[in-house]
Amino acid sequence: MAERARAKNVLLHAALVAACIVSVYPMLRMIAVSLRPGDRLLSTDLSLIPAGASLAAYGRVLAETNFLLWLWNSLVITTVTSFIGVSLAATAGYAFSRFRFPGSKLGLTLLLGTQMIPAGMLLLPLFLMIMRLGLVNTYLGMIVAYSVTSLPFSIWILKGYYDTIPRSLEEAALVDGTTRFGAFYRIVLPLSTPALSIAFLFNFTQAWNEYLVARVVLCDASKYTWTLGLFELQGQFLTQWGMFAAGSFLVTIPVLLLFLYSSKWLVSGLTLGGVKG
Amino acid sequence: MASVTLSRITKVYHEHPVLDDISLEVAEGEFMILVGPSGCGKSTLLRMVAGLEEITDGEIRIGGQVVNHLPPRDREIAMVVQDYALYPHMTVAENMSFGLRLRRLPKDEIARRVDEAAGILQIQSLLGRTPRQLSGGQRQRVAIGRAIVRKPKVFLFDEPLSNLDAKLREEMRVEIAKLHQSLGATILYVTHDQVEAMTLGSRLAVMNGGLIQQAGAPAEVFSRPANHFVAGFIGSPTMNFIPGAAAGGGFQSPDLSFKLDGRNSVSGPVVLGVRPEGISVDKAAGEGWSEPVPAVIEVVELLGYKRNLYLKAGDQRLLAVADASFGGKPGDTVSMRFQLDGIHLFDKETKKRL
Repeated sequence: MAERARAKNVLLHAALVAACIVSVYPMLRMIAVSLRPGDRLLSTDLSLIPAGASLAAYGRVLAETNFLLWLWNSLVITTVTSFIGVSLAATAGYAFSRFRFPGSKLGLTLLLGTQMIPAGMLLLPLFLMIMRLGLVNTYLGMIVAYSVTSLPFSIWILKGYYDTIPRSLEEAALVDGTTRFGAFYRIVLPLSTPALSIAFLFNFTQAWNEYLVARVVLCDASKYTWTLGLFELQGQFLTQWGMFAAGSFLVTIPVLLLFLYSSKWLVSGLTLGGVKG
Repeated sequence: MASVTLSRITKVYHEHPVLDDISLEVAEGEFMILVGPSGCGKSTLLRMVAGLEEITDGEIRIGGQVVNHLPPRDREIAMVVQDYALYPHMTVAENMSFGLRLRRLPKDEIARRVDEAAGILQIQSLLGRTPRQLSGGQRQRVAIGRAIVRKPKVFLFDEPLSNLDAKLREEMRVEIAKLHQSLGATILYVTHDQVEAMTLGSRLAVMNGGLIQQAGAPAEVFSRPANHFVAGFIGSPTMNFIPGAAAGGGFQSPDLSFKLDGRNSVSGPVVLGVRPEGISVDKAAGEGWSEPVPAVIEVVELLGYKRNLYLKAGDQRLLAVADASFGGKPGDTVSMRFQLDGIHLFDKETKKRL
């Protein structure tokens, strides 16, 4: 028995290690390429820290391109998008969770339905809408486009989480002296931090990594997000792989920091103990 | 403190009547119990007083003011519910002071009230803890504390002791009784437990099927139940019921018959009710007791200070209570006598007291 369990364990771990390598390898390659000196960009050398490693590519991407501007553009658009997206989803999810109104079930189903449509198909209608609103080539246009695309997912996540919070807590708050919104704001929201952070992270990463919509909506290079900017480095005859890799590495940092910071909010179980049990 | 007046309250839910024409007056400082089996509408009624449930028809007044359309926060009530409903992300002190902070009371006043309530409930040492660090009994104390600090006009309790184990429930029951004495508060208290109802209430309203079956002082409801349902619901162990007929000053059923006293006027099909304490098996003939009726002992239960006797007279099963010293055994035939002034007669059709 012990032998079999052991064999099973080994197999399982081997599979896990393989999966880790597949997911981590591209990241490591990217770092390796970003560190290579200019003359060895296309080398097939597999070492992680290449011979003659240098940070020159980082220096060049920061100094010779508008990288910092692109990063700033992305940061503004993504942050505002995430806050708006989460605020809308937090209130909409609450309505779907707590109130019965005509079309509440249909609404939820339709929201889910929108997730089935490939993003590319929505590109043209989205662009036409943004054009009519006169928001082409603006931050606002991007924010409008982004904050609504993650909405269905966020609403479902939050609605599901609210459903687990006992209504008696809100009723206690109502009796204690809050308004309906007060009960939501003071009781339900603080208890929903795990779901709120998941929704925020989802909104953030979606908007941060988005390329297609940005390509269509933004045309002025000074408004470019980093996804557009980095592709600028792809020349017709020459691609600056070193700078490309260095830039790619730099843009993962904000997302990484966000994940580290929000992990403390992701700890669930905060609702335990308020009611019986 | 304030009185609560319910006049002609009706609640229809999905075209299904839940409460039907309920009228009830709760005087200032009164401890009023709403008691009944689950689904009788007692919790719905309480939630209507709290403002958590809409009223289909009728009027609710608190302290003379009609509150039908006031939101809960403007009714100056406090509520304690079965599952405690403590805010999990706040400490005990924050839970208790939540309502006061919403009303922007001065900080020192809040602290004073929380301290005072914590003192009354002996939870001073718990003030810094969060709800999940508390036991069930402690949580219920905190929930009561949260109600006390508000100094509301009316306290509403919705089955507050139902989640506690038997011993703790007894303890808290006494605490709540003391609390009522010391605060002199108007309390509306919902329970399905008739022991709580009998022991706590200055008055009780027995509810069933969306109607108030009887409202009155516990002793009155116990000794003069208004109908068959109340008679069966209040009192433990439950009253015995014998269907039969009253005629010529006597009672007759297929299995037994005896003379009643002073009720010669009653005749026709009736249900006779008698509490287990009103049946004796070792009583000699005497004033106030019926003539003997033979019965066979089926089961004897010793409860320490008394015995429950399960009797059978013909096909009629009855429960009687005897002293612990009673020596009868299952299979013995005994002569049982009924205490005549403990006999209740109910109309067979209307189920009303005759």
